[in-house]
Formats: sequence, structure tokens, C-alpha cells
Amino acid sequence: MGIYLTLALNGIVNGSLYFLMAAGLTLIFGLMRVVNFAHGGLYLWGAYLAAFTFATTGNFTLALVAGAVVAIVLGVIMERGLIAFVYHNENGQLLVTMGIMLILTELIKVPFGPSELSANTPNDLSNSWLVGQVVIVQYQLFMIAASVIVFLLLLWVLHKTRLGMIVRAGVYNPELVEACGIAIRRVFTMVFAVGAGLAGLAGAIAGPYLGAVTPTMGFDMQLNVFIIVVVGGLGSLTGSFVASMLIGILTAVVSFYFSSLAVLVNVLVMVVVLLIRPQGLFGERESPA
Amino acid sequence: MTPRTWQIGSLFLLLLLVVLVPVLFGVGGPTNLLEQVFAFALFAMSYDLLIGYTGVVSFGHAVFFGTGAYVAGIFLVHSGGSTAGLIVGTVVALGVSVLLSLLIASISLRIRTVYFAMITLAVGQTFYVLAGSQMLQPLTNADDGMTVPLPVWLMHDRTVYYVTLLVLVSCVWLLRLFVRSPVGQVLQGIRENEGRVLALGHSVYRFKAVAFVISGLMATMAGILYVIAQTFVSTGVYDVSISLDVLLMTIIGGVGTLYGGLLGALLIIGAQTEFTNLAGTFPIFGRYTILFGVLYIVIVRFMPRGIVGTVAQALKRWNGQEE
Repeated sequence: MGIYLTLALNGIVNGSLYFLMAAGLTLIFGLMRVVNFAHGGLYLWGAYLAAFTFATTGNFTLALVAGAVVAIVLGVIMERGLIAFVYHNENGQLLVTMGIMLILTELIKVPFGPSELSANTPNDLSNSWLVGQVVIVQYQLFMIAASVIVFLLLLWVLHKTRLGMIVRAGVYNPELVEACGIAIRRVFTMVFAVGAGLAGLAGAIAGPYLGAVTPTMGFDMQLNVFIIVVVGGLGSLTGSFVASMLIGILTAVVSFYFSSLAVLVNVLVMVVVLLIRPQGLFGERESPA
Repeated sequence: MTPRTWQIGSLFLLLLLVVLVPVLFGVGGPTNLLEQVFAFALFAMSYDLLIGYTGVVSFGHAVFFGTGAYVAGIFLVHSGGSTAGLIVGTVVALGVSVLLSLLIASISLRIRTVYFAMITLAVGQTFYVLAGSQMLQPLTNADDGMTVPLPVWLMHDRTVYYVTLLVLVSCVWLLRLFVRSPVGQVLQGIRENEGRVLALGHSVYRFKAVAFVISGLMATMAGILYVIAQTFVSTGVYDVSISLDVLLMTIIGGVGTLYGGLLGALLIIGAQTEFTNLAGTFPIFGRYTILFGVLYIVIVRFMPRGIVGTVAQALKRWNGQEE
């Protein structure tokens, strides 16, 4: 029994980390339809900057802020400078963001070297308890809490505030929103910045959980998160949350039994979902483009 | 002279030059580099069939390249490097490639192109992990890779060089026939205006699937050439960086030009070799992938037709055939 509970808990923790990352991608890819294959690069930079900040200052809050801020800065530069000219060109976005991903992944090795950098858990969060046969780690509880807070916060902003209304309207009909006197491009840049910041934050939180940050962590994470956003349904936060937990638990179970097949299983989930519900679990049916 | 005679003339000169390389420069360094270029040129052209003629981007084309390399490698190793092993390995590799591409096409070609990119990336990663897994160790030698013995008649560097060149030239000729065939014309129609081709009553999906299968076959062939040239195969052939390098070769050379891949492969492999040498003295050159990333962006932004496409357009304008 203990093993199943442990796997379930691990799955939920995995899922929480996935969701922190997927939330940003839901905004960028799900809502704005920008195919951001550099999302993992933002996560990577967030992770490194946070690990570095924590190692030098010992202040974890500052580390989280540093991780998010560096990703926001990178995100805004990317969106304004590079992605702006490939809006409405899906293949262009794929290629440009993949180029950015290569640059970000390779550039991090210049100051920090190609090998891993250890990321320590702050003392206030490093307790653990044995409940029954299951070890509960305080840092993992912190991750679950963080993802639930981000989920509820975004849900509130998107559905209960004026800003959220503008964003959702802008996605459906940018021209009309623009005609209402709202600078929609600026709103999109802001949404992109928030999405990027969430990726950086996810990286910052992931570091201590993984124990070390490596240059490949962005690439490894990115594909799973894309799968999650598609499975959940493009643009649906609730969908991303549910899919994060689903993929998180599946990954935990599958990698426990056959570690090499985890990626394949996630892809199979995506394929099955797309075959049964092309719009994803919680997505709205869209007219064929 | 008409542009066509120029074209044929320069092509002939180029081929003559390539044929004479082993005679002029001797075998070893330069021929080995060129053999790699041949393999990757074919790989890049197979990729161009996909991105350039159907407008579909794949991030996992190394699946086919790697499968070609591995299947041929496994058959060669287990037959002790016999000619029969090479032939059977080639046939099996091509068969596996067709099955694999039909499978991937059936699940991912009907949906959005972004999903196709994701699925191909994921399938590529899975093969990478599988090839290195302990489970398949007796077959693939896991992470250590395999040294592949070649048949006796392929032992000489010069023979390998001419065999890979011959295969490349034949495949280029086949690809050229394909893109000029009625099917190839429909494919170009799909790239330009998918809705219109659909309205004309063509099954867009079926045409895309055909292009994907042929592209997979050519990439598999490229993988086999690679094994013959390198006599070694490891999980690296499935690495996503291979897929991304070949994508870069294709777009640098020129998407939809078919021959662009030849130039792209030469440039990228040349650059990689040069940078790796330089990295011995100046470690910063080891980070050359940054430059490749920049190239991705610069080409999409400023040179969407790539080198061959841009030059061809300039030549057309020169000849007064404004598009």
C-alpha cells in the first residue's frame, strides 16, 4: 500500500511542477497561440539564476524572484524582438523559438559550465515526516501549495477581472479589441511576460526538488509540458491543471516500472486524447482553420 | 548560352570535382568529411521533401536516420560484416522505415502541424532512450554503441567514398523525379494553398502521407550511408540535436529547393568540424551551437528562401523572368 501512496504523492508533486510550467505555456501557446519552443529555455534560466542567487545570498525568496525576473526579461526581449515578426506564421514560430531555445541552452553553459550546478533546499523547507509508510517532504508540500495558488490566482485574473476579459477577448478578436481603444499588442506582450515569469518561477522551484540544475533540464521538461497543454485543451487553465496531475501521476508510475518508456506513454496519452477529443480534455471545439 | 546549359554545365563540373577529390587530395581526412556530408546532404534533402514540399515541420526526423543506421549496423554486426548482411539490413531498414512513417503519419498528420512537430520530437526522444537502454543491450550494445564491420570489398576508403557518392547521386535523381511527378506537383500545391487542393478533390492527407513515407525512406538511406562511412553507430544518431542540425541544413540551403540540402550539409558539417578543431585551442568555440541558434532566427527573418532559393530568385530576375 505504501508504495502506491508514495507513487501517488510523487505523481502529484511531479504534476505540481508540471503545472507551474504549463500555466505559463497555457497563456502563451494555449491562449495566444504562440508556439513557444523556447519555454524550456526560460525555465532553465530561471532555475540557474535561482540556484546561483540562493547559493550566494542564502535568501530563498530572493532566489525565486531572481528566477522569475530573469525569465520575464528574456521573455519580453524574445516577444518584442523576435517573435513579433512571426505572429500568424506557425512554422516560423517553431523555427525561431527553437533557435532561441538552442541559444538559451548553450549560453547558460558559458558562465556556469556544461556540468550540473547543485541547488540546495532552504532550511525552513527541508523538514520531512513519516506518516504511515509514506515519507512526506516539506518542500514537496510547498510545491503543491505553490501550484494551487498559481492556478487559483490565474483563474481569478482571467475570469473575474477586466484585464482577463481583455485578454480573452483579444485572443478571439484582436481587431475588435483594438477598435475599443485598447493597445492589444501591449496586452499580449504583458501576457507573454507573465507566462515567461511563470516558467522562470517553475525553474526556480524545480532546482531544489531535483537537487541540481543541468543545461538539459529545459529540453527535458518542455516536451511534457507541451503535451500537457494539448491534452488539457488549448487555452484551458483547468484543463492544464488536470492534465498536469494526470501526466504527473502517469510519469511517476510508469518510470517506477519501466523508466525508459515514460516519454512514450505521455505521447500515447496525447494521441489517444486527440483521437477521441481533438480539442483536448477541457478545450472548446474550434472551427477548422 | 541558355541558363539551362549553364546549369547542366556547372552541375557536371561540380560532380567531376567531387569525383576527383580522392585522386587530388588523397583519402583520409577530406574524403571522410565528404562522406559525412553526402549522408547528411541526403538526410537534409529528405527533410526538405517534408518541410519544403508539404509545409510540415518535424523535430524528430532523426528517427529515420537513426533507424537506418541502427538496423544496418545490427545486421552487419551479427552477420560479421558480410555483403548479405548489408543487403538484408538495408532492405529491413527500409521496410521498418515505411511501417514507422505510416504509423506516425496515421496518428499525427491529420492534426495541426504543431502537434506533428511535438509528436515527432517525442518519438525521437523515445527511440533515443530505447537505443541506450539496458533492455536492448544484446542488440544495440546500449550506451556504448557498436563498431560495425564492413564487407571486404567496402574496406577501402576510396570504395566507400564512391559508393556513398553513387547512392547520393541516385537518390537525388529519384527525389528529382518525385518532385517533378504529378504527385510532387500536388504536394507543392498543398504547401501553397492547402484549402484549394482540398477543394480540387485531392485527399491532402494521403499526399502528405506519401511525402512523409518517401522522406522517411531517404532519411533511412542516409542513416545507412552514415554507418558505412563511420563504421560506428551509437545513440547519438537518434539525438534531437541531429534532427535540429539537419533542419538547419535544410533551411540554410533553402526550403523547397531540394538541392539546398547539399549546400546546407556542406556548410554545417564544415562549420562543425572547423569549430570543434578551434575549440581545442579556444574553448569558447565549443559553444558554436549558439551560432546555429542565431542562424535559425536570421534565416527565418531575413532569408526565408535560404541560399539556393535566394540565388535562384536573383538569377531569375537577372534573366528578366520576374516572378
